[in-house]
Amino acid sequence: MTLKKMVDGIVEQGARFCDVRKERWDVNHLVLKDGNVEQMVSGEEEGAMVRVLYGNGWGCVGTSALERLEDAARRALAMAKQNHTFKEEKTGVATINPVTCKEYMPAKIRFEDVSFQEKVSFMKEIHNFLERDWVKSADIIYRDSVVKKEIVNSEGTHVMMEIPRLVTYMVVTGKENGSIQQASEGGGGTGGYELREGAYEKVDTVLDRLRDLLGADTAPSGRLPLIMDHHLTGVFVHEAFGHAAEGDLVTSGNSCLARKLGEMVAGENVTITDDPTFPGYGSFPYDDEGTKARPRILVDGGKLNDYILDRESAWKLGLEPNGGARAEDFRVKPIVRMSNTLMKAGDMKLEELLEDVHRGIYARSSSGGQVSPAQGTFQFNAQVAYLVEKGEITKPLRDVSFSGFTLDTLRKITGITDEMKTGVGHCGKGQSAPVSDGGPQVLISEVTVGGR
Amino acid sequence: MILESVKEALEKMKKHGLQGDVYGMESRNLAYAINKGEVSDISDFEEVGLGIRVRKDGKLGFAYCVPGKEERGVLKAKELSGFSQKLDLTFPSTEKVSKVKNFDERILTVMDGGEGMDLARDMIEAVRDVKDDIVATNGALILYTDSIAVGNTSGTLLEGSSTSLLAGVTATIHGERTSLTASESDCSRRLDIDFRNLGRSSGEKVDSMRESSDTPTSPQTVVMSPDAFSGIFRFTLVPSISGENVRKNKSVYNGKLGESVADGKVNLVDDPTKDWGMGSRAFDDEGLSCTPLPVISDGVLKNFLYDLKEGVKSRTGSTGNGFRGSFKSPPMISDMNLILKGGDSETDAMFPERGVYIDEVMGAHTANPVSGDFSVVANSAWKIEKGQRAGRLDGMMISGNIHECMLRMELGDDHRRTFFRMGPRQIKLELPSVRISGMSVSGG
Ligand SMILES: [Zn+2]
Repeated sequence: MTLKKMVDGIVEQGARFCDVRKERWDVNHLVLKDGNVEQMVSGEEEGAMVRVLYGNGWGCVGTSALERLEDAARRALAMAKQNHTFKEEKTGVATINPVTCKEYMPAKIRFEDVSFQEKVSFMKEIHNFLERDWVKSADIIYRDSVVKKEIVNSEGTHVMMEIPRLVTYMVVTGKENGSIQQASEGGGGTGGYELREGAYEKVDTVLDRLRDLLGADTAPSGRLPLIMDHHLTGVFVHEAFGHAAEGDLVTSGNSCLARKLGEMVAGENVTITDDPTFPGYGSFPYDDEGTKARPRILVDGGKLNDYILDRESAWKLGLEPNGGARAEDFRVKPIVRMSNTLMKAGDMKLEELLEDVHRGIYARSSSGGQVSPAQGTFQFNAQVAYLVEKGEITKPLRDVSFSGFTLDTLRKITGITDEMKTGVGHCGKGQSAPVSDGGPQVLISEVTVGGR
Repeated sequence: MILESVKEALEKMKKHGLQGDVYGMESRNLAYAINKGEVSDISDFEEVGLGIRVRKDGKLGFAYCVPGKEERGVLKAKELSGFSQKLDLTFPSTEKVSKVKNFDERILTVMDGGEGMDLARDMIEAVRDVKDDIVATNGALILYTDSIAVGNTSGTLLEGSSTSLLAGVTATIHGERTSLTASESDCSRRLDIDFRNLGRSSGEKVDSMRESSDTPTSPQTVVMSPDAFSGIFRFTLVPSISGENVRKNKSVYNGKLGESVADGKVNLVDDPTKDWGMGSRAFDDEGLSCTPLPVISDGVLKNFLYDLKEGVKSRTGSTGNGFRGSFKSPPMISDMNLILKGGDSETDAMFPERGVYIDEVMGAHTANPVSGDFSVVANSAWKIEKGQRAGRLDGMMISGNIHECMLRMELGDDHRRTFFRMGPRQIKLELPSVRISGMSVSGG
């Protein structure tokens, strides 16, 4: 039975909507620890997930046994019916134009054409570049994946796509004068083996950061001005703002941005986009519901302009779906996710931002953060920070985190530099999603700093 | 069925003159998602797969595949073994394993009968019953079961099934500018969670947050709920008991075995043989029988955790801590079922005259796993005045170092199971509330 016949069969039994997403993954995951291959995993797998909307109820069933897919569809229908029985809230899927297409994202050098030997040599080369007396341990992580997806729904959409991705991480641990510190740097994107090149330029960055950390002091606590570097700005827009703009959180009463479309939520100098068509680690041609990807201008000159939407949240808000549905793999249903989240550059220089700081913090890079979108509170940390006194960077600081309220903090952005950079990351929201984020360097007049 | 596939893979290894082990897993995960005061969708996933590890010329290689493709998996693992270092690893021959209760037939009955819907609805209704303006805005009920088979070319062939149940709900009071939220969660191997109580507890928690207070000045005596302290503990202390991190100098515990590292009352044991623990199991994912492992006894550091590979590198042997979060992951060192205890105070008796109570923290994953320094947001927190919970604290940060905290903390008697998953990593930690003095606080 074809996938189309299967989803049509479910609709004939009374469902309002049915789709199936079949995926095949080829993954290579290598870990080099202290110059030796510690882990080398190569695997292939396939599976599919069927979603059924019956009345207002959803049933989603996934399986790694494709021969049992029709059974999965029947079970999804039964679950949707059970869900409908107890559901009061009306729901639906907003209309998209059915498309039939094949879209293969380009890879200059395909992973399957590169030997394991070559991948190991590349990692060993990076490792050699990282060797220093004071570097006690260096781990290099490399992962390439190619996913082929086929999305078929009961409205006639049939999307086939292929997305290759590469990511590398280097984690260096140093020891000096009894202090043990760790720094890390990631790189990669959507594309082929050519993306590994980006790792070379990260070597000096991560070593400089570790060097500074080894001589760093603990940070002060309190409410202080903060200058964020490009990477940290990216983490800030992702954590502090992006999650709250996700349509599923907006429509379920879990976002501080609900009912604020068209209102000023930030200063006029702030523009934030989430753009799956931007070349980054979070790019894709169609989302996991078969909606064509397009840039979303979330904040336009301070005004809340758009949310990130899948078909269900768009239906609830009476808006158009904009390609926001993503699933980690065939094991899970798509939920609303970010892709490449960016803050637009301004017109200032870093020196000008520093001049405005009497006593504050300049923070660089991050190992992540977290947000409570309903409360509108966020936390993120800096890998390394520097004390700024009277406009001068005076000394390095370690183990410093920042927090604040999204809606307050966005209004406190008082300086934005004129150049931007992006970084890669994995966003966790019950499922993991590859994302990029970035922006210029930004001055926030006051955040809560948690030092020691 | 999975056992047959494991046997088949072992046959293929022997045919190609290889040593190795095979891990087979068959699982089902059924989830009821909660949104806006009702079950918003139901999703179900079933899978089966094999993780194949071979040893050729002393080198290890790993690959994963699905049943039916055993030989292909074995050959792929053989190919990859060529890149690794020689390691003098022998696969254990295990005949007898510990007896432990971790399978509850009733969970399967609930999964097959669709009664998870009723349990989730009980939890949601209990939230609403607290006050009209309190809604269960978010949450889930997850029912899980798996069958695991582990075999190797040294003759080990083990099989076991387990069940588990995870439930969590966030109660929200919507406000004009910002909303108040509080969460409650529980996990179990058997059907013994009181879902109504769980819902009521999250509702009552958010109900007690209506009044706000100003952040007090630093330092403060802080009492943390099991959930809050578990968040910090898993990212700061847990990495430092891994044998690999110790050998590589990424743990402050390096060279400290036998030394005092915590208050004399503190005991930390990794005990997978405890009945109905979230991580309870008879054998580890490399086929060794599980036994209790004391990590910290009366404040003294006793043992680190090892899997087979690190057991060879550190010359200690495995402690039965080889873990795979999925058939796609090679074994790694992991705690199985950590239990932190050593106190007998009731939570209320732990409250100081003045201080802070924290029920949930945010951002603990950004802590420094090497030094143990952390700086997190206290997401659900209250001021303590006259030994009682007073107004809530907004956006307060606390920071400190876990190893310093271990030396001066007091533990309560209100033990709870906590479960956390990040990629293939899982941390199952049973612990009580803790009280720590002299904690740095800021902000709000
Ligand atoms: Zn995120």
